[in-house]
Amino acid sequence: MALDRLTGEHSVAFIRSEQLFDWARRNSLWYLGFGIACCAIEGLMSTSGPRFDFDRMGVFFRASPRQADVMIVAGTVNKKMAETVRLLYDQMPEPKWVVAMGACASTGGPFRQYPNVVLGVDKVVPVDVYVPGCPPRPESVQYGFMQLQEKIKRQTEERRAARRDRR
Amino acid sequence: MIGPRDTEHLVVNIGPQHPSTHGVLRLVAELDGEEIVNVEVSAGYLHRGIEKLGEHRRYHQLGTLMDRGDYLSGIHGELAAALATEQLLEVEVPPKARWLRSLMGEVNRIASHMIWYGTFGLDTGAMGQFLYAMRERETLLDVLESVSGQRMMFNYVRPGGVIADITPDAEQKLRTFLRTIDTYIDEHHALLGGNEIFQKRVRGVGVINREMGLSFGLTGANLRCSGVPYDVRRDKPYAAYGELEFDVPIGSVGDAWDRYLVRMEEMRQAARMIRQCIEGLPEGDVMAKIPKVVRPPAGEVYACVESPRGELGIHLVSDGSDTPYRFHYRAPSLFAVQVLEEILPGTLLADAIMLIGSVDILIGEIDR
Amino acid sequence: MLPDETVVRTVLSGVTQAEVGTSTLGVVVRVPHADAAASLSALKASDLGFVMLVDLFGTDTGDEIEVTYQLRSFARDEEIYVKCALPYDDVLHSVWNVFASALLPERETAELFGLTLAGHPNPARLLTTEGVAPLLRRSVPIRTLEEVRDR
Repeated sequence: MALDRLTGEHSVAFIRSEQLFDWARRNSLWYLGFGIACCAIEGLMSTSGPRFDFDRMGVFFRASPRQADVMIVAGTVNKKMAETVRLLYDQMPEPKWVVAMGACASTGGPFRQYPNVVLGVDKVVPVDVYVPGCPPRPESVQYGFMQLQEKIKRQTEERRAARRDRR
Repeated sequence: MIGPRDTEHLVVNIGPQHPSTHGVLRLVAELDGEEIVNVEVSAGYLHRGIEKLGEHRRYHQLGTLMDRGDYLSGIHGELAAALATEQLLEVEVPPKARWLRSLMGEVNRIASHMIWYGTFGLDTGAMGQFLYAMRERETLLDVLESVSGQRMMFNYVRPGGVIADITPDAEQKLRTFLRTIDTYIDEHHALLGGNEIFQKRVRGVGVINREMGLSFGLTGANLRCSGVPYDVRRDKPYAAYGELEFDVPIGSVGDAWDRYLVRMEEMRQAARMIRQCIEGLPEGDVMAKIPKVVRPPAGEVYACVESPRGELGIHLVSDGSDTPYRFHYRAPSLFAVQVLEEILPGTLLADAIMLIGSVDILIGEIDR
Repeated sequence: MLPDETVVRTVLSGVTQAEVGTSTLGVVVRVPHADAAASLSALKASDLGFVMLVDLFGTDTGDEIEVTYQLRSFARDEEIYVKCALPYDDVLHSVWNVFASALLPERETAELFGLTLAGHPNPARLLTTEGVAPLLRRSVPIRTLEEVRDR
């Protein structure tokens, strides 16, 4: 995209503001530090540790939903937790994305047969990326974030295409 | 001068989404200024029916559930379930499997304590030690991954033994790890425990005396800090612990600093045991002859292991079918969390976060 | 290590009509539920020194709820199990005055087996929200695989 050329010989680049914002957004996906269960250790702790180090992708931990762009739902959501998940999602500022990490958050996982467990967090909040695994390796979470970046990038183009069609 | 005046008590909700409650624990704290007057523990945000589902799973599948109960130390959960099943079946486990169970148990103990150490520092406001702790943990997870194929949910210990022998790769990694770990633990201790701010925050705070520890059913390091020298590994030896040499560190005061010291010493002892296990690993099979579907005779047993958080017990009631009739998981964290209601009142709100870290609780175990 | 049955009988003789026996679990004492707290405090105060309530849990036997108290003595390295049976939907009397470690396990047991908790400082539900069935009863089914397949 145009902004990449900034590092080259061009000193001035022209870009649509929304493209610029989306570029910034997808390279600073701050996630809400919200570990529910086992996946939290892999998805939130190992990833902020030295080996996987998501900081280099601009993926960084925030403690408050009001400062977060992405919610990683890392663990089983049960009926008591579902309300809180929804509340936290509503507290996050737009634009916001949700990563359902692991089998439990995606479908209920190994606990899906228990009547108290919600069958996937997509029953409570809209989910953008599902990361499979029980728990997913940190590399999988990384790939999930790359997919999310792709999605954000695509969203800009889709919005522009939709506007063109309207004209 | 402003004289004393009546202040209103403020009720503050800590959790379920809070970076320092180690998961989804919720504390409802009544504050007078910064001081906690009363606190109520509210759990259940991770209740997912491990006990109920255990009644609908075969005996070999219990390990899968136990892994996810105590997710920081899966080996210990699996081991408790396997020991209970073996007690029902009256199966003899090959010696090599017993030694491998101890070996992997201790590897897992250090990995789990490293998470505790890293987050305990975070709770007191330090950050650096977390990164170093994760370095150690990743090395150990490599070892566990090499033998079991998974980083966290190992499913390595099964009724009758373990699924795989230690791989040459894992052994090599462990030997490299053992060369440095004692120095590293000293470094860790210097980094966090040698910090004056840290010491001032943890010394003398959250004292659990002997009576309190016993009456609240604490086990593991929390109980040992209050001066009760009880360790399941030594007092009811399972796996290969009867043949290993190790010391049981004991605290004298029972404050958060003691709990820190005891856990650091436990890591040193774990490294010592890993060394003995690698050197003394016997030859032979790693799995006893055991059918794929077991139907133990009717009966009721209790098996317990010393998990990093304390005594992890499994009550199994069999009715002769291929699934347990009742599967109960005695979680050390459930008992450790209720002592918070006792030790938190009178401390400052900032200390509350530190004290939650000091008793090393895990929500997966509390709610099950 | 198993405690001496005759000693246990003597300790409990003043309190209740206890049935003392040995099973695969160890020494098991069966008492009426009304005497549970008294039996536990007698065992705690006796020379046997059962100072710690290790565990408390319920079992649905099909006819009634059986509550098990597991006690441990550190002085003699012994364990004992006290069991008492309650009809469904009955009142579970708290023993937290004797052993504070019963506080949370009692709430959990009462909730998951559909019992009413009495004499407890905070008898509210612990794990689930209002209106959830007593999940650990045998009569409460889990979801079938067909149900979870369609989500």
